[in-house]
Amino acid sequence: MLKHHLKLFFRNLVKYKSTFLINIIGLSTGLACVLLIALWVVDELQFDGFHENDSQLYQVWNRFESPEGPRVLSWTPELLAETMADKLPEVHYATGQTLPEWFQKMPLTVDGQITKAPGIFADTDYFQIFSYELAQGDKNQVLAGTNSIVISESLAQRLFGTLEGVVGKTIAWEAMGNQGQQLVSGVFKDIPQNSSNRFDFILPYQLWKNMIVKNGGELKWVSNNPSTYIVLTKGTDPALFAQKIKNFSKLQDDEVTAELVLTKYSSNYLYGNFENGEQASGRMDYVYLFSLIALFILIIACINFMNLSTANATRRLKEIGVKKALGSQRGTLIKQYFGESIMTASFSLLVALVLVLLCIPVFNTITGKTLTLPFSPLTVLGMASVVLFTGLLAGSYPAFHLSRFNPVAILKGNMKSALGEVWVRKGLVVFQFSLSIILIIAVLLVYKQVDYVQSKNLGLNKDNVLYFSQEGKLQQNTESFLNEVRQLNGVVNAATTSQNIIGTDINMTGGLMWSGNEEEKRTRFNELRIGHDFIETMDMQLKEGRAFSRSFATDSTGMVFNETAIKLMGLQDPIGKTITYGNVTYTVIGVLEDFHFQSLREKVNPMFFRLQRETIRNEIVVRISNAEHQKTIAALADSYAKFNPGYLFEYNFLDTNFQAEYEAEKRVASLSKYFAGLAILISCLGLFGLATFTAERRRKEIGIRKVLGQSAGQVALMLSGEFAKLVFMAILIALPLAYLLASDWLSGFAYRIPLRIWYFLGAGVMALIVAILTVGTQAIRAATKNPVNALRDQ
Amino acid sequence: MLLQLNNIFKWVQQGGQRVFLLKDVNLKVEEGEFISIMGPSGSGKSTLLNVIGMLDGFDEGEYNFLDESVHTLKEKHRSELYKQYIGFVFQAYHLIDELTVYENLEMPLLYKKVSGSERKAMVADMLDRFNIVGKKDLFPTQLSGGQQQLVGVARALITKPKLILADEPTGNLNSQQGEDIMELFKELNNEGVTIIQVTHSEKNAGYGSRIIHLLDGRKIEG
Repeated sequence: MLKHHLKLFFRNLVKYKSTFLINIIGLSTGLACVLLIALWVVDELQFDGFHENDSQLYQVWNRFESPEGPRVLSWTPELLAETMADKLPEVHYATGQTLPEWFQKMPLTVDGQITKAPGIFADTDYFQIFSYELAQGDKNQVLAGTNSIVISESLAQRLFGTLEGVVGKTIAWEAMGNQGQQLVSGVFKDIPQNSSNRFDFILPYQLWKNMIVKNGGELKWVSNNPSTYIVLTKGTDPALFAQKIKNFSKLQDDEVTAELVLTKYSSNYLYGNFENGEQASGRMDYVYLFSLIALFILIIACINFMNLSTANATRRLKEIGVKKALGSQRGTLIKQYFGESIMTASFSLLVALVLVLLCIPVFNTITGKTLTLPFSPLTVLGMASVVLFTGLLAGSYPAFHLSRFNPVAILKGNMKSALGEVWVRKGLVVFQFSLSIILIIAVLLVYKQVDYVQSKNLGLNKDNVLYFSQEGKLQQNTESFLNEVRQLNGVVNAATTSQNIIGTDINMTGGLMWSGNEEEKRTRFNELRIGHDFIETMDMQLKEGRAFSRSFATDSTGMVFNETAIKLMGLQDPIGKTITYGNVTYTVIGVLEDFHFQSLREKVNPMFFRLQRETIRNEIVVRISNAEHQKTIAALADSYAKFNPGYLFEYNFLDTNFQAEYEAEKRVASLSKYFAGLAILISCLGLFGLATFTAERRRKEIGIRKVLGQSAGQVALMLSGEFAKLVFMAILIALPLAYLLASDWLSGFAYRIPLRIWYFLGAGVMALIVAILTVGTQAIRAATKNPVNALRDQ
Repeated sequence: MLLQLNNIFKWVQQGGQRVFLLKDVNLKVEEGEFISIMGPSGSGKSTLLNVIGMLDGFDEGEYNFLDESVHTLKEKHRSELYKQYIGFVFQAYHLIDELTVYENLEMPLLYKKVSGSERKAMVADMLDRFNIVGKKDLFPTQLSGGQQQLVGVARALITKPKLILADEPTGNLNSQQGEDIMELFKELNNEGVTIIQVTHSEKNAGYGSRIIHLLDGRKIEG
């Protein structure tokens, strides 16, 4: 019996090659999409989840009230971690940690050789809390004291050229004008790809605290810098605990206004956004989006299979009739059809696996991941169930529908007309095209929005600006270095700043007082301390007043605000008004037109600038002219080497930071482009198959029509019109749905493109044209055949 | 007695009216008979044959086949019964185009769950008997109409049925091929197989031992 079924299966394949090919192409590309997306989704879901303490590992955040609503920030007091560990029995371990972004390129010196690497400061229990594997060293000891340093294996290779005997060697470092000598106390394995915290070395937390104090700061409850991570003891209810610590900081110090918020560490990656002070969506949106896309594509491919097998079944009706007349049970037929669809699905899976192996490098480039296809029992089981699901879904309709027919009717030839026009098939085509159109619109919109964001006038000029950190000797002779740089050919301007204006969390502060706000101190501003010429270098536009100038000695107590800040403060004629901040009285000297320094998801925040104190600087920004970048940069490097011997000139362009802000969107845009393309391709494949089949089935009718005088053109029009109607219905269904989805997605951006009607109509017309082209070829072929041949057969 | 039909009625509803396909048909068939059913188009010949073959049901009356009352049997039993005792020969042969002659012959045996080796022997037997050993690996479309119908008859016979039902078995054949098939039926009948055929041809009806005339679903005595 099985042998017979197999033979029938294979001989039908050979006989109806095009149908089989359409099925295989459709199903295998569909499955390949599903596999790739599944790999991506699984990787996303497991991100940061590899720590042994994962279920007890939490981050503590600060929640500030501001007139614009609550803001949740990772910046917490230095004192928080140790105090929590001290006073709360539920806290098993706690650590403060500086963000890796702060010291992306900290200079480390070994034997006079300077190497720059990303590093953090973290507390003694760090390796108890996070499961970064130590290759050498004891996890209880490596961060004890103040003269240790733990480095990654790859950093050890870079510094010493070996992993052997590294422990005990000396490394010198410098950060924020401080220097020190450390002994290597341990080596950890490189941090896995699926960790959001990435760094190459760890310095003891005590050094950080010392540095804060040395640089004029205080370790107070209102001074917020590091992020805080804790491990709760087993059995602690996180919800109750979160309630308990809400006012923890406030209780320690009357001045504190921030409440504490608790989130699970591994959830931060996918739910990184806060709404109204609560952890909300984030990358998880994309996980849902892509899971949905995968499901859509698989369904579209399955619909092809269902449609084509029912269509094909009319060709095989005789087989069913004969089998039933000869005594085959309905169950046997059902089994046969399911067997066939599962076999097709399995074969498609093999093709899909090859496709996945071929596509994975490209997929990794697009997604920025390092995914591989793992052949573990679990994935094999997963794939088997996908095949089973696909096979059963795709085979269900033919299996149950066809096996039901009465053999007498089939053998008399009565069934053909009844079967041909099943509404189900039409409905499926409509469904399929609706999904495709929605995908096309989605891709179009994501593209438009990303494009808009990148070309929007930011209020400052991000192009041709490079920046590098102020290290070593540059901290002493900054002004003369800047002066020389400004003289260089190709350099437009140069300045210093405390923080980069794009791509970093700019320092936030409150406590400003102005006339009309003597009591209320809650408004929070972004604050940047800048050197002279910074505003000019960044090409920011003045609305009123002037920028900082060397000709005014009083500018050390001058402030420049952005427009939003002035509006928020409600100051009329702001120039010359006084502001009190930290017991010093400042004067407003200028107002800048608003400029975007955050992602365009956010509204422009109120912001002000002050001149930098002489001692602390951080970054140097240089605007160069558009021409001859290489030459200018080479000249810059020469000056740098002269002023700061021994240091490597490492710079970045500001607009790469800007690009990074939209990386997620860009990845989504380019990925969904491929998937939408595939969806429409698979849909059209199915349409092509159906058109072929319809033309074949209506051969006699076409013959009669032509004999009676209808022209070939009219026949072709009639045939394609039938399918065009279906696609048209799909457009009617898809457009409102797409509109809802689009407005929902765009509402996440503070600055967004308007929804124009042509995006929707364009997508619909495109689907219609592609569909008509697909069907039209078949229609014309059928219409131009000699009617005599068609009629003679009957 | 092989089978007996008592007061069989079959109808369809058409525009609120009953249109009778079979009206009060009574028929008794003894083993070893060779019966021809005749009548104009639409008189219910094929319907009667399908009812006898249990491919089609009826609305009223009784049908006994080898002392089993078919009208009370469940679908599964009915199918067992006709698999066991009845073979069909169709006007359009109805061989499966994607299967070879050998595989077409083998198919009914699969549904009777005959073992592999036995199947082989039975198919070989049939091929031998109908002189089509040389054609066993050909597909139906590679055969002439007469040869295809030969395979059709062989397929009907392979399960060793007591009764063969043939719906215009020579309708698609030329006269020589038709005669060959009728001779074959006669021979089979002589071996004891009961045959009921539907035919338009007086000549073919002449091969049988008894003729039943149908008109508008009624049996005309005579």
